[in-house]
Order: sequence, then C-alpha cells, then structure tokens
Amino acid sequence: MRFSDAAGRQVVSTSTAETLGRVDEFVVDPRTHAVVAVALKKAEAGDTLAWSDITAFGADAVTVSGADKLSGPSPEVAALVGKEHRLLGRRALSTTGDELGKVDDVEFDPETGVITALVLSGGEVAGVRLIGVGSYAVVVQAE
Amino acid sequence: MRLMRTSEVTKRPVVTFSGEDIAQIKDVVYSAGGGAVGGFTLAGRGMFSGPLKQGLAWSSVAALGADAVMVRDETVLEPTQSILDASASSGGSGGDVLGSQVLTDSGVALGTVVDVIIQVDQPAGGQCDVVGYEIEASEALGSKGTRVLMPLPDTLAASGEHLMVPAAAKDFVAQDLAGFGAAVLAFRAQLEGPG
Repeated sequence: MRFSDAAGRQVVSTSTAETLGRVDEFVVDPRTHAVVAVALKKAEAGDTLAWSDITAFGADAVTVSGADKLSGPSPEVAALVGKEHRLLGRRALSTTGDELGKVDDVEFDPETGVITALVLSGGEVAGVRLIGVGSYAVVVQAE
Repeated sequence: MRLMRTSEVTKRPVVTFSGEDIAQIKDVVYSAGGGAVGGFTLAGRGMFSGPLKQGLAWSSVAALGADAVMVRDETVLEPTQSILDASASSGGSGGDVLGSQVLTDSGVALGTVVDVIIQVDQPAGGQCDVVGYEIEASEALGSKGTRVLMPLPDTLAASGEHLMVPAAAKDFVAQDLAGFGAAVLAFRAQLEGPG
C-alpha cells in the first residue's frame, strides 16, 4: 500500500461503528524503517493513533477497537511527527552526498507498517535503506 | 573516487545522517603544505548564515558528494581553531593559492590559479588530496585567457605569491575534469618513473 492511497482514509471504531477521524500523515521511525503511528485529522478523541493500536489497516478503512485508542502523541512519536519529518516531497540524499530525487511516494506493508520501498523521482529504493528523515532531506544508505 | 573543484564544494550543505542540514561549507582548510584538505570552516544555514565557531575536520566527513557533505551527526563538529591548528602543524600554510602565479622550475609563468581540484574517495576515508589546479592560462600554454586544469606532483612549493611546478606539468594539462584523472596519473607516473 502507498501513503498516497492511504491518506484521507477513514478511521472507524469497531465497537461503535463511528468514524473517528481520517488519516492525515504517517509517522515514520527511520531506525525501524516502519510506520509507528498515524496522525489523524478531523478527530475529536485525539490526533494520534499508535500503529500497535490499529486493528486493521484495510483497503477502505482503518479500524480500531474504540475511541480510547486515540490520544495525543507519546514522547517517542512526538519527536518524529510534524512537517519537518514528512517524507513526501522531500529531497532524498544518499549517504555519499548525492541527490537521488524527490520522495514521490512510500510503500508500506499494511500488516506490519514496515516500509518496503521509497518511490523516488529517480526510481525506487528498498525501505531498509532509509536511515534518516530530517528537515533538509531523507537520507538513504548508498548501495 | 571522483574529482571536484573546491569552488563547487563551498556553500554545499553539511547534512547529518538524520537528514538535518546543520551548516554549510564556507572555506576549505588545506593541510600538508596545501597538498591535502584538512577540513572546512562553516557558515550557518538560511537566516543564521554568519560564520560558525565550529568547523569540520576532514576525518569527520562521512562523504563528500555532488549535492551535500555528509556527517554522522552534529557532534562531529569541533572548534574551527583546532582544525586550523592541526592543518598548520602538518605544514599547511592554509594553502591559499587562489590568485597565485604558476611558475615552472624553468621560470616560465603558465598562468594564475583560479580553482583547486581535489580527489575524493567514496565514501570518504584516508586523505583528501589536492591533485591539481585550474589555472587561467598565459601565452606559454598556447591560448591566453582560457581555463585549463593542471596536475600537481605530490609535493610542491607554494608561497602565496608563486606556485612552483615542474616544467613537465604543462604537458599534462586537461580541458575538463573528465580527462583530468588520467592526466594526474600520467603526470605522477612520469615524475616517479626512471625517465
């Protein structure tokens, strides 16, 4: 699944069948090459949903057991959230200091949240090569 | 391994492996009598673009690429003065050769230094050698005013006013960086060789 496909997807409670919010941004931890949380918009119960609290990341909706799973970001997530940690649209630099293009999209495994590939304007690179996401660049291990 | 003009390296951002641009290159600090890069002085980025008290030693550079200078994290920066001192103690006069007149040991002026060519390993490791200069040619090189690349021997004498090169250096000039690597090797091989 790609970030661009999943953005805007509704988050639904399995206990009340209510829509709790919509997927806004993905919070990525470069150390684990995985999505650790989803930032939500139009959510009253809280703007952050930890990946571990997601029941299923489905093709049409993200399900959670209840509104109590939504909260403010935990300290670990707070350090990774925000515009300066966004992958999409950011320049990608290899560890050799060469620009590889812009990050057009990100592929992830909806079961585990693991990032499988970065879709760059210059081609795809494997998700395991991601080592940093900062305000200036996304850093990718050189081959 | 690749060749670069140092003028292209200045202003290049210094980026950590976590993707933050912590500085940009201000100037190159030469060591080993101008024969190698000892490190860089830095300036801030964006609105903090004044000179920084912290510099970057060559040994802390993870990679010098076409678009950025990569470092592990911001803790590798060290006081600029210690980089200047280390370079000076390795025999570097700062190696400020821009504007120097290039003189052969037979007393012919070949031109004026306008840029410094360095050789960079990928990833960085070992020494960053100065392998040549870009010079604005005099009549002695044929076409006055054009820019040519001239390889350097491993060791050279530089005073800030003149740069002494062996007379043979002028036989190994190249027009662009693409052909320059071979010219450097050929030139050094000849200096070391029996004839």
